[in-house]
Amino acid sequence: MRSGIIWTLLRREWAEMIRNRLLVSTIVVPPLILTVAPIVLGAAVGERALPPELSAQILAQRPEWATFSPGELAGAFAVQQFLVFFLLMPAYIPLSIATFSIIGEKQARSLEPVLAAPIRTVELLAGKALAALVPGVLTGIVTYIVFVALASIVYGPNLFGVVTDPSWLAGVLLLGPAVGLLSVVAGVIVSARVNDPRVAQQVGGVIIVPVIAVVIIQATGTAIVDAVGYALMAAVVLVVALVGLRIGVRLFDREAILTRWR
Amino acid sequence: MSTVLTTPGDQSVALHAAGLGRRFGDRWAVRDISLDVRRGEVLGLLGPNGAGKTTTVRMLTALIEPSEGTATIDGFDVRSQPDDVRARVGILTETPGLYDKLSASANLEFFGRLYGLAADVRAERIERYLRLFGLWERRTDIAGTFSKGMKQKLAIARALLHDPSVVFLDEPTAALDPEAAFVVRESIEGLRRAGRTIVLATHNLDEADRLCDRIAFVRGGLLRVDSPARLRGAHGERRLTVRLAAPSHPALVTAARAVAGVLGVEALDGVLHVEAAEPAEVAPAVVRALVAAGAAIVEVRVERLSLEAIYFEIMGVRPSAGGEAA
Repeated sequence: MRSGIIWTLLRREWAEMIRNRLLVSTIVVPPLILTVAPIVLGAAVGERALPPELSAQILAQRPEWATFSPGELAGAFAVQQFLVFFLLMPAYIPLSIATFSIIGEKQARSLEPVLAAPIRTVELLAGKALAALVPGVLTGIVTYIVFVALASIVYGPNLFGVVTDPSWLAGVLLLGPAVGLLSVVAGVIVSARVNDPRVAQQVGGVIIVPVIAVVIIQATGTAIVDAVGYALMAAVVLVVALVGLRIGVRLFDREAILTRWR
Repeated sequence: MSTVLTTPGDQSVALHAAGLGRRFGDRWAVRDISLDVRRGEVLGLLGPNGAGKTTTVRMLTALIEPSEGTATIDGFDVRSQPDDVRARVGILTETPGLYDKLSASANLEFFGRLYGLAADVRAERIERYLRLFGLWERRTDIAGTFSKGMKQKLAIARALLHDPSVVFLDEPTAALDPEAAFVVRESIEGLRRAGRTIVLATHNLDEADRLCDRIAFVRGGLLRVDSPARLRGAHGERRLTVRLAAPSHPALVTAARAVAGVLGVEALDGVLHVEAAEPAEVAPAVVRALVAAGAAIVEVRVERLSLEAIYFEIMGVRPSAGGEAA
């Protein structure tokens, strides 16, 4: 693989992406909301105490929160639910970019001239995958950094500790990118089969279901996923993504694109 | 380092194909394509929709692999050296396939980088081709705002950017209005004058007749390759038409039929149709014989069959009002 070719493809993908208002709004608006919402909610809920039974249940699962005041415990419980959104961002942003990019090329029939150039199919796939993955993962991490910076100002030290504990770091830095890669792979596979970006996103969005399952598990207090749990989940997602990538490479075969993409 | 495989010693041949064929499943799209294209030559691939022209172009540009046979561009094999082949061909696909959200120059800049052109070469060629096709003033405009003809010209500029040995133009004027088609045809004519080697896939007979040095008739395979002039010689110029001042009579038919080289004579009112293998050669003798038999001749003309008539003859089809019939 030649990095110069991949960089050329990335630049072209991003140059088109920033001119697509719908896509840009899909990337920009949710992170803004997700940065502000936990801050406001954490601060607001932090004024009230949780019902005693729920507090007892939370403390049984999170003994490290035993030193928190009742208000801080409520705030920590509320803020904890937002971790999943930092996992969803790297999932839906690459999916949106990949589906728009591939289906856009199918509709414009612009891939044939590219494939007629001395470029390898794997370079084309790598360019498209990175063009989708990098903004998704970066958005997730940057949003998290901004969120942590705001949290350090708004929250007290206990709540700040919650959003920077190892489980959050493992979730954002390990599981997030892994989910992002899986999302790109899903985008490539689905986009190779359908001709409408919205359909592709809906079908590809199925991969978000396991992430939502994590939310439900956490919210209902069924189980608490710690840093090791997130790292293990990241490893499993990565393996699934790599298996999917092999399928994606086959679907992205030069001849299949030329003769079957209509 | 790649090795040149074919056409040793014959640097005048840019494209060589031998027994080229491609099958999709059980169906052969095209078979047994064997031809050479010399440098500076314009070869037309002429055939109806579904004849295998695009498949042939795709095989010759190393976009798809042949199921049988071989082909080389500048001696590089399409099967074993596809990257070398792709670096040496330029292609205008059936649709322009531009990036509509990028400017004209950004479209070319992207492809210049893909072909590995240095920054200064890229800049010089982008300017040269945008000026050549009259798009320089619109270079910063988004390609999506261009007319169909402008898009097609930009796509041709893209195909020429890396200075390819052979340029493939697949249906360059299909789906264009007459004005846009004229502009694109003029552009191709300019490339022809500049000595470019071009393979032009088309079903437009007039376009092939006007632009091509040789025409390859394709329909599931190669039916015939020849220059338009030789095609007319072989298929078209078999008839001499003699227009008389008065209605013909049997003595004139007999006199014309007696001339050596004449194959048959048909009289229709004041016109005699004289069939001959070489109508131009027998014309003086026919005129002498008819005058001797008392004919008053108004006009003598060697009939030139249209390329359309030759096309139908080679393809073995005869169109009817209800569609084509074999």
